[in-house]
Amino acid sequence: MRKGGFWFLVAFVFGVLAFAAAGCGGDDDGGGGGVTALPSASCGAIRYEGEGDPDYLIASDLPLQGANRALTTEMADAIEFILKQRDWKAGDYKIGYQSCDDSTAQAGSWDSAKCSSNARAYANNEDVIGVIGTFNSGCAKLEIPVNNRAPDGPLAMISPANTYPGLTIGGPGTEQGEPDNYYPTGKRNYARVVWNDQFQGAAGAQLAQDLKLKKVYVLTDKETYGNGIANLFVRYAKKLGVQTLPGTPQAWDKNASSYEAIASRIQASGADAVFLGGIVCNNGGKLIKDLRAGLGANVTIVGPDGWTPISATVQGAGQAAEGMYITQPGIPPDRLKGAGKKFVDDFTAEVGHAPDPYTNYAAQAAQIMLDSIADSDGTRPKVAEGLFNRDVKDGILGDFKIDENGDTTLGTVAVFRIQGGKGVFNKLITPELSFVKG
Amino acid sequence: MRRPDFSFDRDAFIRDSRPRVKKGLIAGAVGFLVIALLAGATFTLVLALLLGWLVYIPAWNRVPYGRVAVLTVALLAAVLYPYYQPDMFEIPVFGEFPTVDTAVTMMIFVMMALGLNIVVGYAGLLDLGYVAFYAMGAYTAAWFASPQFGESVKFHLGSVGVNPNAQGFHISIWLILILAAIFTAIIGVIIGLPTLRLRGDYLAIVTLGFGEIMPQIARNGDNLFNTGFNLTNGPQGINPIDPPGFGATLGNIGLPESYLTPGSDAFPFLSDSLRLYYWTALVLVLFTVFCSVRLRDSRLGRAWIAIREDETAAAAMGVPLMRTKTWAYAAGAFFGGIAGAYYASFKSGTFPDDFFFNISVFILCMVILGGMGNIWGVILGGSFLAYLNQEGLGNIGGWLNDHFSGQRGAEWVQLWSTDIDVPLYQYGIFGVILVIVMLFKPEGLIPSARRKAEFEEGVADQPLYDVSH
Amino acid sequence: MSTEASRIRLPAAYRPSPLAAIGSLLVLLVIVWLAVNLVKEPAEFYRLFLIGFTNGAVYGLVALGYSLVYGILELINFAHGDVFMLGGMLVATMVASWGLAGAGDAGLWFGILAMLLIAMAFCATINTTIELVAYRRLRGAPRLAPLITAIGMSFILQNIGLVWKGARPTSVDSILPTGDVFTVTLSGTSVAYTWRQFIVLLVTAPTLLLLIWLVQQTRQGKAMRATAQDQDAAAMMGINVNRTISFTFFIAGSLAGVAALLFALYTTTVHFTTGFRLGLIAFTAAVLGGIGNLPGAVLGAVLIGLIESFNNGLGWSTPGSDWTTSIIFAILIMILVFRPEGLLGERTPEGG
Repeated sequence: MRKGGFWFLVAFVFGVLAFAAAGCGGDDDGGGGGVTALPSASCGAIRYEGEGDPDYLIASDLPLQGANRALTTEMADAIEFILKQRDWKAGDYKIGYQSCDDSTAQAGSWDSAKCSSNARAYANNEDVIGVIGTFNSGCAKLEIPVNNRAPDGPLAMISPANTYPGLTIGGPGTEQGEPDNYYPTGKRNYARVVWNDQFQGAAGAQLAQDLKLKKVYVLTDKETYGNGIANLFVRYAKKLGVQTLPGTPQAWDKNASSYEAIASRIQASGADAVFLGGIVCNNGGKLIKDLRAGLGANVTIVGPDGWTPISATVQGAGQAAEGMYITQPGIPPDRLKGAGKKFVDDFTAEVGHAPDPYTNYAAQAAQIMLDSIADSDGTRPKVAEGLFNRDVKDGILGDFKIDENGDTTLGTVAVFRIQGGKGVFNKLITPELSFVKG
Repeated sequence: MRRPDFSFDRDAFIRDSRPRVKKGLIAGAVGFLVIALLAGATFTLVLALLLGWLVYIPAWNRVPYGRVAVLTVALLAAVLYPYYQPDMFEIPVFGEFPTVDTAVTMMIFVMMALGLNIVVGYAGLLDLGYVAFYAMGAYTAAWFASPQFGESVKFHLGSVGVNPNAQGFHISIWLILILAAIFTAIIGVIIGLPTLRLRGDYLAIVTLGFGEIMPQIARNGDNLFNTGFNLTNGPQGINPIDPPGFGATLGNIGLPESYLTPGSDAFPFLSDSLRLYYWTALVLVLFTVFCSVRLRDSRLGRAWIAIREDETAAAAMGVPLMRTKTWAYAAGAFFGGIAGAYYASFKSGTFPDDFFFNISVFILCMVILGGMGNIWGVILGGSFLAYLNQEGLGNIGGWLNDHFSGQRGAEWVQLWSTDIDVPLYQYGIFGVILVIVMLFKPEGLIPSARRKAEFEEGVADQPLYDVSH
Repeated sequence: MSTEASRIRLPAAYRPSPLAAIGSLLVLLVIVWLAVNLVKEPAEFYRLFLIGFTNGAVYGLVALGYSLVYGILELINFAHGDVFMLGGMLVATMVASWGLAGAGDAGLWFGILAMLLIAMAFCATINTTIELVAYRRLRGAPRLAPLITAIGMSFILQNIGLVWKGARPTSVDSILPTGDVFTVTLSGTSVAYTWRQFIVLLVTAPTLLLLIWLVQQTRQGKAMRATAQDQDAAAMMGINVNRTISFTFFIAGSLAGVAALLFALYTTTVHFTTGFRLGLIAFTAAVLGGIGNLPGAVLGAVLIGLIESFNNGLGWSTPGSDWTTSIIFAILIMILVFRPEGLLGERTPEGG
């Protein structure tokens, strides 16, 4: 043992301790004045431009590093945009906003340790009245229970992007004990404005039936979202009598440099369609290029909303994306009416390009959260309760309801077909509830 | 280990302290200037520096019980950290002291770094797949303390914080820590076996291979070989994992039954779950440090160092290569397993995404950056890098924006008008820190005495030609 | 203990052991698996062979750079893959801004040649600079210190790539000729060998030969080999060691530039994480072939390309793309267990 280094360490620790024992406090500079800011390690500065100091904080919890940051930074912007629109107010309460990051440099995407640590920070900061997030369902699985058990009662969460069914309901594609094991206090505190994957898997299967596809080869990126939706697609396709090839879903490795061999295998299997359960960010452009090159123009490619924004798919795959079908729950951004259309126009004017669908969801989630705070008495349990059984009239996504489980009733899935480098609206599919749940 | 020397030799004390006064004065002056420049000299900061300096000067090891006293105080400082952390001053550039939450993560990574230090630092076997052990530990906890096998099994053994009717294995986390350690050590031996004949970087690539295979098994383990057997629940990961706790019997005397719902009338200070996690992690780290020290000074430890220095010579001197190397893997894996299991329980879940190659590299960086082979160095390296990853990088970015961004009033010089997007640059900042530290302290932050001697005396491969520095 | 010591002296690989029996059995299984697939679907097999071979050739170019640097410094240059990635991004930028997608034949070939030179110069400059900044100061330092700076540089370069081209993969217009070189018809299915694939071979093979000539025949190559063997002795023989190492990094960087051009044009997608992953594969290939052995690196890379492609594409009892990484590394581990010095590596006291 080298003494010098050791002693230095010890001395440093001791100095720190002696200092603390003397009872000297550091200076605390909360940017928002009246409220305690969330730690700057994960969260940006408090955004608040209203009068005086904010009464409460809302936080968004998104992975701001890695492949999804193109989406997530825009979502954070949209939340701030909504707050600005409402003069940083929810009813009588003045609301500040912090955008928090649940990813780390090492992981390059959401990080489970960061998620649970963020959740504890929200739960223990009594100024935080609501959380908009998470982006990844895996992260939500860790955060919901912590916030549910928060000291001042369940802390409200509303997600603009979690599609894993088991967070709110049981049934196909979920596990035993879900969703109750996420709510240890027995009270619900989590809602979402996106439809879960059961619905989209069913819609994908119906689309396959409508297109009279005979043999579908299913690929997945083997991530939480992609794997879930691929398995649900297989399940619903079976029910409708659409044949999916045995041994599928097969993985595509987002780090691979070529998918020609996979295309070759699909060709040999005689499939006339490929379902891609995954997201475009996971090297999706290259995948479509290789599939198209290996399979020719006659094979139909179908993808869920992981392939939105469609512009990203087109940009990544170019000509090869022509003819691809993409399903997208809810009303597409350019077909929104009323408040939705106004938001899209205003936001486009603000940031200079049309928002992603997920950006609309984020804005809608922020609206619902603010409404719920406005209707509450300013306590956490009331805000959480307010998320459920809520009627949304002329919201950004249209007219819908958040039901008692925290799921949206916006039960339509829009189908797009890429033609001429653009996503052309094809049709709306509304799967029967009995079919989805059965 | 030497027995502490209880006789007070005044002359030796003064003799040893004197150079430290000089060195301390210079270092203190420079440090103060830098800090005053960076942070603005707040009163508290100056006081802390002064106290730290005063503590540093005396050669405590020459004072009777000095060494014991310093260790006790250091331990006390660590134990009481959750109490004084909120009141601490801001470190220049890095901002606030790490939260208790981050401190737990830091300690878990310190344990892993100490485990890897046995393999890399002591035995000199470059291991690029340490994440495999972390994964084994985490999944052991996940299998035996979660609803994972709920469809076929219901087995409770000392479980806490779980509904007594819950399906699946629910074994007390304390037992699981032991189970995970042993299980992972066995895996360590299995991984070690094929590598025994390899040397140098051929060995590194084999360990890297295991580090790549392990997460893929975790990812595909929801339907292993199309048998429908769900081992790892695939990309969905396994959660919730049971919290640690002391159960109903000990709960009656006031200990927390379960860490997630502590609440204790007898001992109010035990009612904060984060503190409980913190103290438990501290105990585990101390256990790891103790074992590391004992292992290093043991016969086995000397055999490791002999192999590290010269494998052929060691073999010629009668060191059993196979057995010694296997023990290194087993011992390194042992602590990785404990850390992984505790981390999984702390996070209450485990996902295949947690086990990328990057994490192996990250832990290796901790060991080398801190000072290979030196326990205190590895502790420093581990806490520093884990802190950077969890909090530090974000704080540094915030500091940069505060001082250079027009949007926040640019305290120093306005280099950019709107805030730079900190997460975008975190990866790069991390790289810059790694490069700078290594360039200026190539032997690590706190090098081991042996390595330092080699480096300074040129026993290591010192080139004869001019290397332009 | 005496048995342990004797193990060092005897070339263990030649002694019959249960391990060798298991190994032979596994090799036999792999051969049977390939043979059955070949008989069942010959056309498919041939197509996958072409795909794997071509991908392997691209990996090989990256692996050569690793092998060169490793040979001379015994340093796993983690930043090499990221230098290659930045080169790919530069090519992507050039293809887009020069509008090569619509260019005529002459313009196209001229453009490709110009891009090749620019990419080589670009990557060589970065690589030499990295050596100067991050490795040279650490010449006498502990062996693992430069490994950490290499990792640090790799993170920095990836961040540059992220800031430069954004978080989404960048698509490169496909500008290589689309025609077929020749077509083979097997059991009713015709499989084409395309120009795209042939061009990869056209670049890789001469590069490898040129490099072998450079290292084996030229004065500079002799200096490189001498430096690799013993830096002190080389310095005493009057070799400028620092310059030789710089030169090696320059050559390795140029190779990364060639690989970058080929990768960008052949796979037509570049992402800021491309380099790290491909670097890992390339490094694995270099070890598989025998570290420091140039043809070995390419052989290892082609082998990895073939494993990948066969495992992803074959039909009969194939684990499939779920398991590709595991299978690559499992085969790697098996090969290293039976040939600890790599496929073409020399049996040295250090290597086995």
